[in-house]
Amino acid sequence: MPTSAEEKFRIEYLKTVGICNNGFSGRGFSNPVDIAINPDNRIFILNRCDPTRRTAIRIGICNIEEDYLGEFGYGYGDGDGQFVQPTCMAFDKQDFLHVTDEHNNRVSVFDSSGKYVSKWGIPGTGEGKINNPAGIAFDSQNFGYVVNQLENRIQKFTSTGEFVMGWGEEGSGTGQFNRPWGITTDENNNVYVADWRNDRVQKFSSEGLFLKSFGDTGESEGKFQRPSDVAVDKNGNIYVSDWGNERVQIITSTGDFHTTLLGSATPSKWANDFFESNQDELVERNKSNLKPNLPPHLNSPYHTSSQTESYFWGPIAVSLDSQERLYVVESNRHRFQVYSKV
Amino acid sequence: MSTSDLKLIAHLMRRAGFGATRQELKEFVSKGYESVVEDLLHPGDPENLPDDLIRRYHPDHSELRFLYSAAGYWLYRMITTSNPLEEKLTLFWHGLFATGYSKLNQARSLLNQIDMFRVNGLGNFSEILLQLSKDPAMLLWLDNNDNHKGAINENFGRELLELFSMGIGNYSEQDIKEASRAFTGWTLGNVDYMAMRASKDSIWPYGRIAWHFEYRPDDHDNGEKTFLGETGNFNGEQIIDLIAKDEATARFVSTRLFQFFAADTVGEKEQETIESMMKSYFDSNYEIRSVLRTLFNSSYFKSEKARYSRIKGPVEQIVGAIHLAGSYSTPTIGIEEVAQQAFYMGQGLLEPPTVEGWHEGEEWIDSGALVERTNFASSEVGNLDSPGVRTMIQNICTNNGGSMSPETVVDKCLDMLGAFDVSEKTLSALVGHVSRSGNIDLNDNDEFENSENRLAEVFRLITASPDFQRA
Repeated sequence: MPTSAEEKFRIEYLKTVGICNNGFSGRGFSNPVDIAINPDNRIFILNRCDPTRRTAIRIGICNIEEDYLGEFGYGYGDGDGQFVQPTCMAFDKQDFLHVTDEHNNRVSVFDSSGKYVSKWGIPGTGEGKINNPAGIAFDSQNFGYVVNQLENRIQKFTSTGEFVMGWGEEGSGTGQFNRPWGITTDENNNVYVADWRNDRVQKFSSEGLFLKSFGDTGESEGKFQRPSDVAVDKNGNIYVSDWGNERVQIITSTGDFHTTLLGSATPSKWANDFFESNQDELVERNKSNLKPNLPPHLNSPYHTSSQTESYFWGPIAVSLDSQERLYVVESNRHRFQVYSKV
Repeated sequence: MSTSDLKLIAHLMRRAGFGATRQELKEFVSKGYESVVEDLLHPGDPENLPDDLIRRYHPDHSELRFLYSAAGYWLYRMITTSNPLEEKLTLFWHGLFATGYSKLNQARSLLNQIDMFRVNGLGNFSEILLQLSKDPAMLLWLDNNDNHKGAINENFGRELLELFSMGIGNYSEQDIKEASRAFTGWTLGNVDYMAMRASKDSIWPYGRIAWHFEYRPDDHDNGEKTFLGETGNFNGEQIIDLIAKDEATARFVSTRLFQFFAADTVGEKEQETIESMMKSYFDSNYEIRSVLRTLFNSSYFKSEKARYSRIKGPVEQIVGAIHLAGSYSTPTIGIEEVAQQAFYMGQGLLEPPTVEGWHEGEEWIDSGALVERTNFASSEVGNLDSPGVRTMIQNICTNNGGSMSPETVVDKCLDMLGAFDVSEKTLSALVGHVSRSGNIDLNDNDEFENSENRLAEVFRLITASPDFQRA
C-alpha cells in the first residue's frame, strides 16, 4: 500500500443529494445519522428523530443520480426490525445491513432489499454484552466491530454476533476512550475509532493493538472537536467528520493534515423540483446573500453553519464508495454532500 | 442550622430558582443567606448537561427545527443548571418580551433570543432593550421588517413602550410614531426570503436557515425626532437611552420583577419595596442585578407574608418536580413530552399566547391545568426509580431509626421536599391518611418495600396538595 504522503490528490465538490422530509413517506431525509453504500451503489440513509416524530425513523434508499428508490422500517419499538434510537449501520461482506440501536441495545440485520433477517447482541455490561452501541464496521474477514459507547469499549464479533474479543476502557490514554462513536476498517483490517469526547481518532490492529492516534482538541488544522465518524481510503488517507467544528478534515496516513472541507452544498435535484413549483421562494432566494457576514456573537462554527445553507451543519457521518467518492451526511440539513478525489 | 434559616433559604431558592433539594439547602444554609444571594447574582459559567451530549443523543435538539425539541432543549438547561437564577430570570424576560414560535416558525432563532437573555439578563436594562431591538426573532415577531423610512410600521415601537419598558399612560401616540421612525432600517439579513419562509413555514430544501440582525442605513429615517420631550436625530440607541432613564421605566421594571419573584399581587404595602428597587435601578445605572439584590435582601421578601404568596407557573412546577426527582439529568427519551406537558398546563415555552406573555398568578390554575400539574408532579416525585426520590428515601432511612409515627413521617417527607410547609388543614389530612395504615418502620426489612411505597405515596399526596401549587 503506498503511503498517502506520496499520493498527491485534491478533493472536489461533486453534488448534494437530499431534501428535508417532515416525517412522511417518500423522498427526502429526516435528521439522517448514518450512511451505508451497497456494492451495487445503492445508498442507504439512516433517519433518526425523537419519539414525537417516530414515523420518520426509517432507512431511505437512493442512488447518486438522485433517484429515490424506497425506504423501509418496521415501526417504533423493540419488536423485530423496529427501532427506537438507531445509531449507525454497515453492510457486511455478504450484503446484509447491520443497524445498531442504542436504546434497544442490539444489532438488527436486514437484507439489501430491506427485509428483516435477524438480530444479535446480548444487552448488558461486560465482555461480549452490548451497552449503548454506536458505530459498526466490518473487515475483509467479515468480522464486525461494534462501539460500546458507554462502556468505552470496542468489541469484535462474527457477522452472526458471536463475541470474539474486545478492548478499551474509559480514559484519555492510548487505547482508552471517552464516548467513542464512529468506526471503520481499512484495507489491512486495521480499525479506526472516532474517540468522540477525547477529540481524536485512534487506529488499532484487528486484534485491538494500539497503533496510532490522530489529532487532539482544537479548532485549527488537524485538531478536532467531537469527531463523530471516520472513513479511510485505499491509500490510508483518513476522512473525519469533525462534528463539533462543523467540518470534515482529511489527514494522511502518517497523520499530516491534508484538507479541510466546510461544505459546498448546492440545490439537489429534489431541491430544484421544489423550487420549480415554488417560484416565489426561488425569486427571493436568488436575491439573497446566503453566505452572510454574521454578528460576532454568532460567529461560532455551530451558529455559522445554522445560518449558512451551503456549509456542513451537523456533519455526522462520512463514507467512501467503491470509486472513493466521499459522502458527508449532515443530520441538521437532511442531505449528504458528495466529493470526488482527483 | 436553624429551622428559620433553612426555611428562608428554601423560600429564596423557590423564587430565585426552581426549588432546591434538601442536600442543596444544607449547603446553602452553611454559606448564609446574603452569600447565597450574591452567588445567585454572580452566576459565572454554569454547570449543566453539556450541549454535545444532548445534541448527540437528540438529533432534533441539534437542528432545533421543532418547537417541542427546542423547548425540551431549554428544559434540560433549567433542570440541570448550577445557575438557577440565570435560568429563572431568562424565563422572566421570555415572559416579558414574549416572542412566539407560531408566527416565526424558527425555533433556533428563538433560542438565540433566549441565549441573549441569559447573557444580558442581570446586566444593564438599556443594553437588554438594545439587544432586544436587534434580535431577529423580535424584529420579525413585531413586524419591524416592515418598518421603513417614510412608511413606518409602529408595532415594535408601540410594544417597546407599552409592554417592554414604560407601561401605558407614560408616553404619547406621537412618541410611538417617533420611536418607530428611529427604528427604521433595523431588520434581519435576507429579510424578504426569511420572512417568506417564516410565513409559509417552509423547511425546504434543507431545513431552517437561522436569522441574524442587519442594519440598513439606506432605509433608516435620519430626520429630526421629538421623543419624550427631547429632540434630536435619534436612532434606536438614543430612543432606548431616553426610555431607560425615565422613572416610569424604573417603576415598570421593578414592579414586574417584584411580581415575578416576590408576590403575584401588588398593593400599597408592597410599594415601599418597589420604591427601593427603583432607587437601586438608578443608583446602579439601570443594572438588574442591583435591583434584584435589593429585592432579595428586603424585609418584605424575607417576611412570612411573602412565603407561598405566588402560584407557581407551569414551568416552575415541572422543573421543580423534576429537580426534586433527579430525573432528566442525562439525555433521556421523553423530554419533548415534558415540554408538551408545559403546554397542556398553559405555559408552552417559546410559544407565549400573545405579545403580552402569559397571564400569571391565579390564572395559571383552572380545572384542566390543575389535573395536569398535580399528575405530573406526583408522577415525578412519587417515582421510586428516580435517583432523587431514592436519595430522599435513603435520607429518611438513615436519619430515623425504628418506627416513625404518622406525624414524623409527614414531617420528614415535607423536609425532604425542600423544607416545604403546608397549611394546618393539609397537614392534618396528610397525617390522617398515613395514620390509617399506622407507623412506618424502615428498619423492618420484611416491610421495607411496603414502607418505601408508603413514603412515595406521601410524596405524591404532598405534591397533589393545594399548597404545592404555590412557591
